[in-house]
Amino acid sequence: MRFNMEDVFAISPFLILLFGALILLLIESFAEKLSKKIASYVTLVTLIIAFIAAYLAPVSASPLLTPWLRFDFLARQFSLFFILIGIGSAFLASPFLLYTNATRGEYYFLLLSSLFGLLLIGSAADFLTLFLGIETLSIPLYILCGYIKQWGFSREAAMKYFLMGSLAAAFLLYGIALVYGAVGSTRFDTLLDNYHALSTYTSKALFISGITLITAALSFEAAVFPFHTWAPDVYSGAPTPVAAFMAIGTKAGAFAAFIVVFFVALPQFHPIWNEGIALLAYPTLIYANFVALRQTQLRRFFAYSGISHAGFLLIPLAVGTPEALQALFFYLAVYVLATFGAFIVLVLIDEKEEGVILQDLRGLYWRHPMLASLFILCALTLAGIPPTIGFLAKLAIFKVAFQAGYYGLVIVGLLTTVLAIYYYLRLVSVMFSSTLVEKPMTWSRSMLAMGCVTLIVIVMLSIYPNGLI
Amino acid sequence: MLLWLFVLPLICSGILFLCGFLSQKILKATAFLFSLIPLVMLLSANWNDTAFVYNWFPMASVQFYLRIDALSLLFLYLVAVIIPICIVAEKRRPALHLLYGFILLLQALLIGFFTARDLVLFTIFWEAMLFPLYFIIANWGGRKAHETAFTFLLYMITGSALLIAAVLGTYFLGSHSFSLDQLSHAVPAWIGIIFTLAFAVKTPLFPFHGWLPDTYCQAPVSGTILLSALLSKAGIYGFLRIAWGIFPDHMIAWSPLLIGLSVVGVFYGGLTAWRQLDYKRLIAYSSLSHVNFILAGVFIWNHATHSGAIVQSINHGITIAALFLAAEWLERRVNTTDMRSISGVAATLPQLCWLTLFFVMSSIALPGTNSFVGELMILFGVFGSNPWLATVLGLTVILSVIYMLRWMQKVYFELPSAQSHSWKDLSLKEFAIAIPFIVLILWIGLYPQPISEQALTAIKGVGNAL
Repeated sequence: MRFNMEDVFAISPFLILLFGALILLLIESFAEKLSKKIASYVTLVTLIIAFIAAYLAPVSASPLLTPWLRFDFLARQFSLFFILIGIGSAFLASPFLLYTNATRGEYYFLLLSSLFGLLLIGSAADFLTLFLGIETLSIPLYILCGYIKQWGFSREAAMKYFLMGSLAAAFLLYGIALVYGAVGSTRFDTLLDNYHALSTYTSKALFISGITLITAALSFEAAVFPFHTWAPDVYSGAPTPVAAFMAIGTKAGAFAAFIVVFFVALPQFHPIWNEGIALLAYPTLIYANFVALRQTQLRRFFAYSGISHAGFLLIPLAVGTPEALQALFFYLAVYVLATFGAFIVLVLIDEKEEGVILQDLRGLYWRHPMLASLFILCALTLAGIPPTIGFLAKLAIFKVAFQAGYYGLVIVGLLTTVLAIYYYLRLVSVMFSSTLVEKPMTWSRSMLAMGCVTLIVIVMLSIYPNGLI
Repeated sequence: MLLWLFVLPLICSGILFLCGFLSQKILKATAFLFSLIPLVMLLSANWNDTAFVYNWFPMASVQFYLRIDALSLLFLYLVAVIIPICIVAEKRRPALHLLYGFILLLQALLIGFFTARDLVLFTIFWEAMLFPLYFIIANWGGRKAHETAFTFLLYMITGSALLIAAVLGTYFLGSHSFSLDQLSHAVPAWIGIIFTLAFAVKTPLFPFHGWLPDTYCQAPVSGTILLSALLSKAGIYGFLRIAWGIFPDHMIAWSPLLIGLSVVGVFYGGLTAWRQLDYKRLIAYSSLSHVNFILAGVFIWNHATHSGAIVQSINHGITIAALFLAAEWLERRVNTTDMRSISGVAATLPQLCWLTLFFVMSSIALPGTNSFVGELMILFGVFGSNPWLATVLGLTVILSVIYMLRWMQKVYFELPSAQSHSWKDLSLKEFAIAIPFIVLILWIGLYPQPISEQALTAIKGVGNAL
C-alpha cells in the first residue's frame, strides 16, 4: 500500500484542476480587482497544464487508486477530450463576463469544478466514482445557471435544473443501490462476471431494475426523450456560455458515462437493454427534430438540436459493438466541435438576458463574413451535409446500425435528417438575407482566433477524417 | 500523379484566397496561369486508366478512389479548357481574388467529381460543388442575386438529399460497398428513381428546370459559363456513369417516359426561347433545349446515340460558353439585355456581330461546326431505334434556327438605334479569348474522328450491360 510519485503523476490532471480552482477562489476573495484581470489567464494556464499532464500521465497500479479510477486508453482519451472542452468553454465565457461585468473568479472556479466532475466520469472504475463525477459536474452547473441573480429567467432555469437534477441523482443512487444489492459490489471490473454468476431470478430482476434506473438517470443527463424536459427551459434561461457548456460538456459527460458503464463494464450484457435504448432513440429523434422546426430562440433551438443529436448518439449505443463505440466517439466529437463553433458566434452577438433570437442573425454574413462562415460551416456539419465531416459521422452511425439490423433506426434517422437539414438551412438563409440595421460588431481578438481555429479544425477534419479516430 | 491533378488546383485556390493584396491585373494573370495547370498536365501525359486509391474513411468503408477512363477524360478536357476562359472572361470586380479562388476550387471539385469512383466520394464532390457556385452567384451576381442563389441552393440541396438517400440505399440493399467497380446491378427500382431524380434536377431535365433561367441570368458571366458549360454536364455524366452503370435494366424500362420528358423539354426550351425579350434569357432557354436534346440521346440505349450524346455534351459545353461570352460582351457595350431597346448594332460593332454569328451557327448546328456532328450522331442513333422520334427531334433544329436568328436579326441587323458612338468593337484580348472557341468549333466540326472514337471507347467502358 505504497503511494509513490508515479501515482501522484497518474492523477495529476485532477490535482491540477483542483489546485487551479482553489487558487482562483483565493484570488477572488483577497484581490477582487486582480481577479478581474487575471482570472481567465489563470484558468487557461491551469487547463493547459492539466492537458499536458493528462497527455503525459503514467499508468498507476496502486491498489489505493485502481478500485476507483481507470487508467486505460479510453480514460485518457476522455480526459484530453474533456479538458479541450474546458478550454473552449473558458474562452466562451469571456465576452459574457465582459458585458455583464459579473465576478470572474467564481465563474471560472465553478467551471473548473464541473470539469473535474467530467474527468471523474471519464475515468470512473466504480459506480460510486461515477456518481461522484456526475454530482460534481451538476452541482456547480446549478449555480452557473443562475449566475446572474437579477435575471428572472436564469433563476427559474436554475431552480428547474436543480429540482430535476436532484431527482435524477436520486434515480442514479437508487439504481446503484439495487445493483449493489444484486451483486454485492459496485466495481466495474467484476460487474459482468458477477452478473453472469447470478443464479436466482429475483437477483437478476433486481440487477436489471437497477440498470434501468441508472439508464434513466444517465438519459436525463444526456437529455433523451422522455427525460429531456429540463433541457429546453434550462438552456434558454441559462447565460449563453453556460448553455454552451451544458450542450457540449454535459452531453459529452453523459455519453461518456454511458460508454463507461455499457461498453467498458457491461458490454452487451443483455439484449433487452439494447432494445430499450433503441426504443428511446425513436421518439428522441422524431420529437426533437419536429419541435426544433419551430424554435426561434437560439439557445432553445440548440437544446432541441442537442436532443436530436442525443437521439443519433443512442443508435450506436443500442448497437453496442466495438465499431459502434468508434462511431459513437466520432459523432460525439464532431457534434461537440460543431456546437462549440456555433456557440462562439452566439456568445459574440449575445447581449441581452433573452439571448439570441433568429432575427439577430439577419444579414450576419454581410456584417461579419468570418463569423457567419463559421456558423454556416457548423450548421452544415450539424445537419450532416456532405462536404463537411458531419456527413461522414452520420454515415458511420448508419453503417453500424445497418450492420446490426436496426433498419427502423436507419430509416427514421434518414428521414429526421431531412428535417434537420431544413431547420439548419433556415438559420443559414437568415444570415444571407439583407440587413436593415447596420449594427457595428465588437469582438475580442482571442474569440476571433478561437473561431478561426475551430473553422480550420472542422475543415481539416472534413478533408482528413482519420485524424479523429 | 492523378492525386496531384486534383490537389494542385485546390492548393492554387487556397493561395488565391490569401492574395487579396495583389492588384487586379496580377491577380487575373496568376489565376489564369493556375487554371492552366490541369490542361497542361492532361496534355503532357497519357492519363487513360490511371487510378489513385487511398483508404480514406475506413469506419464507413469509404475510399478515396479516383480513376480516369475515356469518359472521364473527355469531361476533364472540357473542364480544363472552360475554366481558364471563365477566368479571363471576368471583368474587374470587387474581391476578385475570392471569385478566382472559388472558380479554382470548383475546378478541383469538378476534376474530383469526374474521376471519383466511390459513390460516397462522388456524392461529396457533387454536393461540395454547390457552395462555391452559391457564393459566386450570390456575391458577384446581378440585382436579385441573393434570392436567385438561394433558390438555386434549395433545388440543388433537394437533389443532393435524394442522391445521398439513393447512395445509402444502394449500399445497404445491394452490394455493401461504395466502390463503383464492385457495385451490383441488382438495384431496386425505387433507388433508381431517386438517382434519376437527383441527376434530373442538376442537368436539368424538363420539369425540373425551375431554377435555371433566373440563375443563368443573375450569375456573373463566369458563373453562367460554369453552370451551363460544366455543371449541366455533371448531371449528364451522372446518368451515363451511375444510371447506365448500375441499373441499366431500369433505364431501358423507363426510357419511353424519360425520352418523352426530354423531347418535351427540347420543345419547351425552344418555344420559350422564341418568346423571350431578353437575350440572356433566350440563351438560357436555348441551353435548356439543347441539354434536353442531349438527354434524349442519353436515354436511348445504343452505342451510336450514347457516343453522340457524349460528343454533343462537349460541343454544348464549348458552344454555350462561347454564346454567353458573346452575349456578355454585347451587354458590356450596350448596357442592356433587353432586345427591344437596341437594334442595328452590327453597324457599329461589326466584328462582335460576325463572331456572335459564328457561335450562333455552331449553336444551330450548321454543317461544318461542332454541333452538327453531335446532333447528327444522336439523330442517327435515334433513327435506328425509332424513326418517328428522330423526325420530331430533327424538327427542333429548325426551332433553334428560328429563335437564334431572331435574336441576331433584332439586335444586330435592324435599323440602328441612336447613342451608339462610344461603343468600341472587339479588343485584341477579346479576340484572343474567342480563338480557342473558334478553333475547337471548327476542329470538331471538320475532323470529328478523334473525339467520336474517344466517345465510343468511353461508352464501351461504361456499357457493361449490353
